[in-house]
Amino acid sequence: MKGKSASGGNVLSRRFNRFNKEKELWFWSIFAIAWWVVFFLVPLYGVTYSFFNYVPGRPLTWDRFVWFDNFAAFFQMREAPLVIRNTLVIGGLNMTIGFIAPIILALLFDELKSMKFKKVVQTVSYLPYFVSWVVVASILNSFLSSEGVISEVLVSLGLMDKPVSFLTVGPYFWPVLITASIWKGIGWSTILYMSAIAGIDQELYEAGAVDGLGRWGMVKYITIPSILPTIVLLFIMGIGNILNTGYEVNLLLGQPTTRDYWEVIDTYVYRYGIQLGRQSFAIAVGLMKSVIGLIMVFVTNSVAKKIAGLRLF
Amino acid sequence: MVRQDLVKKTASGKVFDVFNVVLMIILSFFFIYPFWQQLVMSLNDGIDAQRGNLYFWPRVFTLNNYDYIFKTKGMLDALFWSLARVIVGTVTQLVCTGFLAYLTSVKFFTLHAWLRKMFVLTMYIGGGMIPVYLWFQQLGLLESFTVYWLPGVLSAYGMMIIGAYMDGLSDSIAESARIDGAREVTIYFRVVAPMCKPVFAALAVMTAVGHWNSWFDVMLYNASGSYDTLQMLLRDILIESNKLAELMKDSTAGSDAVKGQAARITTQTMRAATTMVVTVPIVCVYPFFQKYFVKGISIGAVKG
Repeated sequence: MKGKSASGGNVLSRRFNRFNKEKELWFWSIFAIAWWVVFFLVPLYGVTYSFFNYVPGRPLTWDRFVWFDNFAAFFQMREAPLVIRNTLVIGGLNMTIGFIAPIILALLFDELKSMKFKKVVQTVSYLPYFVSWVVVASILNSFLSSEGVISEVLVSLGLMDKPVSFLTVGPYFWPVLITASIWKGIGWSTILYMSAIAGIDQELYEAGAVDGLGRWGMVKYITIPSILPTIVLLFIMGIGNILNTGYEVNLLLGQPTTRDYWEVIDTYVYRYGIQLGRQSFAIAVGLMKSVIGLIMVFVTNSVAKKIAGLRLF
Repeated sequence: MVRQDLVKKTASGKVFDVFNVVLMIILSFFFIYPFWQQLVMSLNDGIDAQRGNLYFWPRVFTLNNYDYIFKTKGMLDALFWSLARVIVGTVTQLVCTGFLAYLTSVKFFTLHAWLRKMFVLTMYIGGGMIPVYLWFQQLGLLESFTVYWLPGVLSAYGMMIIGAYMDGLSDSIAESARIDGAREVTIYFRVVAPMCKPVFAALAVMTAVGHWNSWFDVMLYNASGSYDTLQMLLRDILIESNKLAELMKDSTAGSDAVKGQAARITTQTMRAATTMVVTVPIVCVYPFFQKYFVKGISIGAVKG
């Protein structure tokens, strides 16, 4: 580089000239960096509280340092196995049925011949995505109560003897939750698949037709392999979020009597950290969740790389 | 040419087409009907609604439910805070995040790539709920309106989609403005931002809907209820049975006419009406804005 052979004074003056040209940009960057420190770095540093026995209002001194006691405490809690089970079951349902459903819907959308009809159905399918979980919970509560539409219809069809208040029965929580999640998100989740399908070269299909592929054959040998990279990418991203599933609905629809079925790690962290005031313990539980999520992303990524040659990063 | 026409028409193909169209109509019904049922419920007399079997059309039509909920003080306050956070939150985020994206897209700037990396990092890791809560408590952000918009003024996701758009623009105009001695702020507001209208529109819609729909931060940071939004009000009516009694009490102090009105209203119809107040703005707006959303997530996915 030229800078090396030049004298020190030149380097300095060039640096100064460069800084002079950029000084306004530097000035504004200070605000961005300040925001980054305040709203990202400090809370990130806050996870170290999980190694202490933090008491609000008292300084955090080294004699409060308790190593991994807060982490170990979680596994001694009576609810721990249930919380882990619920998180894995709900996350697992989301990553299986909840993951496949939008792919199937996208393929069905793609088979529609009328563009206008397709457009209308797609737009309608986005509707639930735009409303809040509070609205969804309120509608579910109305439909699933003992005087609700579902009970009425099932009783009048003779499928049930008497009305049931579904939300008060613990075992119904998982099917209700996964149905609601799919209903809310399925249309929206098709968008990325639809744009992947739109990007497939039309000539592939023409060549396929020459080779005698039928409609199902085209889906199987052309469409699905072409959108596989998108599927893998979304799967890897989904795996990273598997432990973050559904705290909103759970907090809105979960009742104290059905807690054994809906308490997941996120609601547990909220309950202990905010409502019961055990901050260090709650931070430890949340930290474990994040670290496991991060590890799972890396593992899925390398597995996907090995078996399919596809990866996120 | 439509792809399906490449293939010879078969009987099973036709059966599938019919099946597919029927399935789509059924699915559309399931996407729309829950909202329709709530609308019917909200337009029906409360006492009558308790008889059940209210499916497609109001039996005893009334606007009482709406009339009544808009007379309660909680509702108007909640509407105010909802609108305030949508407007303030969206405007501040667009201006600030747009400027951040601009800083990261000025190629000669030493920090441009670093800034981008720093903010991308915030999408993947973070302190989590409790550290953020404790820190906000120390900062005095709890029980304030500020907590709704300040933590969101810079969004990494917004930076990525605006940044991607700005990278696609030619920088010759910005460069010539710079040679003419224009300040960076001027270049951003006068030259670059106006060229980015489509992507700003996309982000604006996403941010506004996000603000309108969010409730958990209200519950978490403003637990006292002084800054309750519409979503939070609906959540309270849903979960805390005493909230409804409280709202009912507001009006029993009023005239006899209002008391008579309150007597015909039930939790069920009142909740349905509140659900509609929260939902209708979204339903009216989303078909026009969904294309911006679609664009936004496609850009985000390519870059992410």
